[in-house]
Amino acid sequence: MFKLIKSAFLGALGLAFAATAYADFTFVSWGGAYTMSQQKGYIDTWDDRKNGISVENYNGGLGEVRAQVESGNVIWDVVDILPSDAIAGCDEGLFEELDWSTFPEAPGGVSYVDSIPENGTGSSGPISACAAPQIWWTYVVFFDPSAFPGKKPKRIKDFYDTKKFPGKRGIHTWASANLEMALVADGVKANKVYDVLETPEGIDRAFAKLDTIKDDVVFWSAGAQPLELVKSGEVVMSIAYNGRVGAAKLSEGANFDYIWEGQVLEGDWVAIVKGSPNKDEAIEFLKHATTCEAQAEQAKYITYGPLRTCGLDIIKKNEPWFHTGVNVLEHMPNTKKKVKRSVFANPAFWADNGTEIGERFSAWMGK
Amino acid sequence: MNQSAKSEILTTDGIPLKISLKRAERLNKIRAFALVLPLALFIIITFAFPILSMLLRSVDDKQINTVFPKTFEVYKQWDRKDLPPEELYASMFHEILSAEKLQIGKASTRMNYSKSGWKSLLKKSKRKFKKIKEGPYKEQMIKADKRWGQIEFWKALGEMVDPITFGYYLNAVDLKYDSDKNVIQQPENRRVYNSTWIKTLKVSVLVTLFTLLLGYPVAYLLATLPLKLSNLLMIFVLLPFWTSLLVRTVSWIVILMQKGIFNSILVWGGVIADENRMQLIYNQTGTLIAMTQILLPFMVLPLYSVMKTIPPTYMRAALNLGAKPMHAFYRVYFPQSVPGISAGGLLVFVLAIGYFITPALVGGKDGQLIGHWIAYHLKTSLNWGLCSALGGILLVVMLVLYWVYNKVVGIENIKLG
Amino acid sequence: MSDSFVKFEKVDKSYDGEVLVVKNLNLDIPQGEFLTLLGPSGSGKTTTLMMLAGFETPTNGEIYLDGEAIKSIPPYKRGIGMVFQNYALFPHMTVNENLAFPLEVRKLKKSDIKDKVSKALSMVELGDFGNRMPLQLSGGQQQRVALARALVFEPRLVLMDEPLGALDKKLREQMQYEIKHIHEKIGITVVYVTHDQSEALTMSNRIAVFNDGYVQQLSTPDILYEKPENSFVAQFIGENNQIRGKVQSINGKNCVVKTDTGEIIKALKVNIDSEGDDTTISLRPERVEINPTNNNFENIFEAKIKELIYLGDHIRTRVEVCGIDQFIVKVPNTYKGAEFQEGVKVKLAWKANDSRALDAR
Repeated sequence: MFKLIKSAFLGALGLAFAATAYADFTFVSWGGAYTMSQQKGYIDTWDDRKNGISVENYNGGLGEVRAQVESGNVIWDVVDILPSDAIAGCDEGLFEELDWSTFPEAPGGVSYVDSIPENGTGSSGPISACAAPQIWWTYVVFFDPSAFPGKKPKRIKDFYDTKKFPGKRGIHTWASANLEMALVADGVKANKVYDVLETPEGIDRAFAKLDTIKDDVVFWSAGAQPLELVKSGEVVMSIAYNGRVGAAKLSEGANFDYIWEGQVLEGDWVAIVKGSPNKDEAIEFLKHATTCEAQAEQAKYITYGPLRTCGLDIIKKNEPWFHTGVNVLEHMPNTKKKVKRSVFANPAFWADNGTEIGERFSAWMGK
Repeated sequence: MNQSAKSEILTTDGIPLKISLKRAERLNKIRAFALVLPLALFIIITFAFPILSMLLRSVDDKQINTVFPKTFEVYKQWDRKDLPPEELYASMFHEILSAEKLQIGKASTRMNYSKSGWKSLLKKSKRKFKKIKEGPYKEQMIKADKRWGQIEFWKALGEMVDPITFGYYLNAVDLKYDSDKNVIQQPENRRVYNSTWIKTLKVSVLVTLFTLLLGYPVAYLLATLPLKLSNLLMIFVLLPFWTSLLVRTVSWIVILMQKGIFNSILVWGGVIADENRMQLIYNQTGTLIAMTQILLPFMVLPLYSVMKTIPPTYMRAALNLGAKPMHAFYRVYFPQSVPGISAGGLLVFVLAIGYFITPALVGGKDGQLIGHWIAYHLKTSLNWGLCSALGGILLVVMLVLYWVYNKVVGIENIKLG
Repeated sequence: MSDSFVKFEKVDKSYDGEVLVVKNLNLDIPQGEFLTLLGPSGSGKTTTLMMLAGFETPTNGEIYLDGEAIKSIPPYKRGIGMVFQNYALFPHMTVNENLAFPLEVRKLKKSDIKDKVSKALSMVELGDFGNRMPLQLSGGQQQRVALARALVFEPRLVLMDEPLGALDKKLREQMQYEIKHIHEKIGITVVYVTHDQSEALTMSNRIAVFNDGYVQQLSTPDILYEKPENSFVAQFIGENNQIRGKVQSINGKNCVVKTDTGEIIKALKVNIDSEGDDTTISLRPERVEINPTNNNFENIFEAKIKELIYLGDHIRTRVEVCGIDQFIVKVPNTYKGAEFQEGVKVKLAWKANDSRALDAR
């Protein structure tokens, strides 16, 4: 009896410590449904160590990471980041460089590096020496078909055609993806978008296209907003993160349609903060979280596509894959058919021009 | 008696009184100092020091000079009319090659502020220059990347020659240095900060005004109602505090959007036509409405606590002396509530001027206030110099406001209760 | 109605519809009178004053001022001066501005205002203080300013709501005389509220004693003290010994009372109805003689001295008599008085006319 009490007590004590002070390391991501899918796909599947991870939310950007690294007081271990931050953070020494040869291969002897498809940098493989692959997400146009009793919009150019499809449009308050979509709608081939944008005339052309809908635009700044805007009828079409639309369709049964053409695909990556006190543990976690299986597992809970092709293959073979028992592939942005008409966001372009174009976009928006 | 002759007063123990007093006081002084020490340290560490380091960062431009010291020496001799001489190319070449990768990363981030493209240019060059074995370098560098042959890139370095710069401050008000460090305007399509400053000030002033107009009667009611009722009313006033930002925002959207409750009621009541529904959100109106609601408690609470200290007998006395209620209010009550107005006004203004999330959510195209840019440069562009300059200007605006306020109202007239 | 300047007629007041704080108040105040409303807190005296000032509305009845019904006239049109409990001097205005306020709202000429303000200030002997702020003045000075402000616009009537309550004892007594003198000098009608009976006795022409919403007794100070009509008044005004008992017999203006411990006391019939009633005999401590030297006293009892408190001019002597050990006798500090010792047995004597048989509350 005494023994039982003692072991129960120690067990409780252990749990308490595991839950608080002895979290092995801190994983920082964007919160909401996305983080939950990571929890289920990567953390809960990491068998014996899943209790060792404490999850925190942030709003993106490298501000906190840089502050931690510069002050030498590193609290975060693994951070979920956008491509541009993956590159800039690596260039500025904010993240640890990783040795890909120790990372898990894909089936059929495909190396880790080769199992990551081309993602806007012009070559396959990780986007920077510091970042391990997570998912594909995308800026995509969606609408409620009941808002168009007659002909439904099908092409990206319909988004910019308020004569044929009258009604307000929802777009986000920053430049990236807005310019790319506008150019595709203006007739630029998806894979030539950045060649056009590299020239001043190309940027002018994108803004000129945006000018055509300026008076009919409602700007949003948080991912949940476009859903509300379309649902309430405040706008008839909007750009949104595809995962939000997918969640509304699959989990809430919302009646939305996508326009995949001209979607702007971006990867999402994970990196280890330079000077992380739990570096070894964190590397082990990244290896686990980027296995083909873990990548596929995450897609059960959110409609962002696995970055590694082998993850997508698992889903293809096992549909219906979504946790509610429906097919998920049609909601994923990176299937072969969709990718052909898609723009891969070019992080190098935005690293060079982000601030300048961003300021110009804000000036345009406030006009 | 001897003491009186020397005109020095001694204590009973024969120690000069002044010295004895000092000793007795010293202990008190040490004690008082010890009491404030923790707070003083806390403020120095969490407030004074960060502000100082922010101000230093806003003028600091050492980084480039330490990565490319020789290049900048040579640069100073260049006439900036035609492409630089071989000497400049050569020193740039060597310093790029010899610099650590990290240094290049940091330097390129800084250089990219003054000319977009430097970032990829340096990164690419660092890779490609390894193949160049010997000089002359100019041609080979241009061959490696044609941007080395564009004078704009070279000219953009001109503003970085000194280790201290006011470039960030210029940037924060839509100005910049040219290659000779003359101050010029930003190109027109990059001018965002001045209009944002004006917008931010306008919104802050209006929100302060609206919270005052709405909050004053409420605070008056709170201060004069019996406790039970005023407590209930206070809950309504404080409700925004207890509601999460998103819930609050979504409810505003539901109420204010074109097909929302408010417009529908107006249409239903025949006040406006169905096709003339008003745009009350995703513009400045939405920003003002939402911020007024959120900041209202910060106006009401100081007003309330000041009004609570104004006994009702003052109004009674004024009425008794023959003043009509409005006159009595204006002459007797209102002047006594001014400290509350000042405190609430300053508080709301200070908070409003830094707001950025709520305006971004409900302000649509007008939703980017100066706080947005500070956050953007802090977290996304990582241009901490510009971020600090924006913060520095904000600090100066506040200090000026404080100074004007002190001149006009007197700082001792601030009262929180 | 011609002889009453202020008249309360059947006035009731309730705040909550359940409790009456003022009940059936009928009061006539002739012009020039200094009337004090005296009573414990919650007795209704302040409510009565507030109704007169116009800050409370009577629930029933009417109030007349100089023959005019004023129930529906707002306070700022009544032309009544008032001194508030904490003076209510406007803290953001100088003394001059405070005094000028009632004159400005009456749109007097600037020069007239200046004259009247300086006159009023010199009346309260604060001629040099016009440019001070109220908070720079002492309590007594603030009090005078408040008084001057209430009088400066020459109101028909001045109300004072415990105006001296915040002052220390010495200053309070001094101000009592000053207010009294100002009243005598300008002959204005004053209604004064206080809970301090000595203040009321000092200043008033007449006093209305309030308790429980009723006026218990309305008379001049001396009658109130000498001839209280019920035991509340007897107890509230001045010091008072109380002996409980039953009425044994009534004989015209007199009666005989048997105390709870069996003593027989001859008393004056004041507020009892019939034989067998419970009663309280009220007896002033200064009307009791210890060891009397003559036989003019109808009541003589054995008593024992319990405690002697030396108070200078008199010795406050606590004795046990008629089963009461809190019986107080004031013994003048004469040669005789100095002889008594604690524990000594003595004889107590008093007249039947000084022992008033009142209600038994």
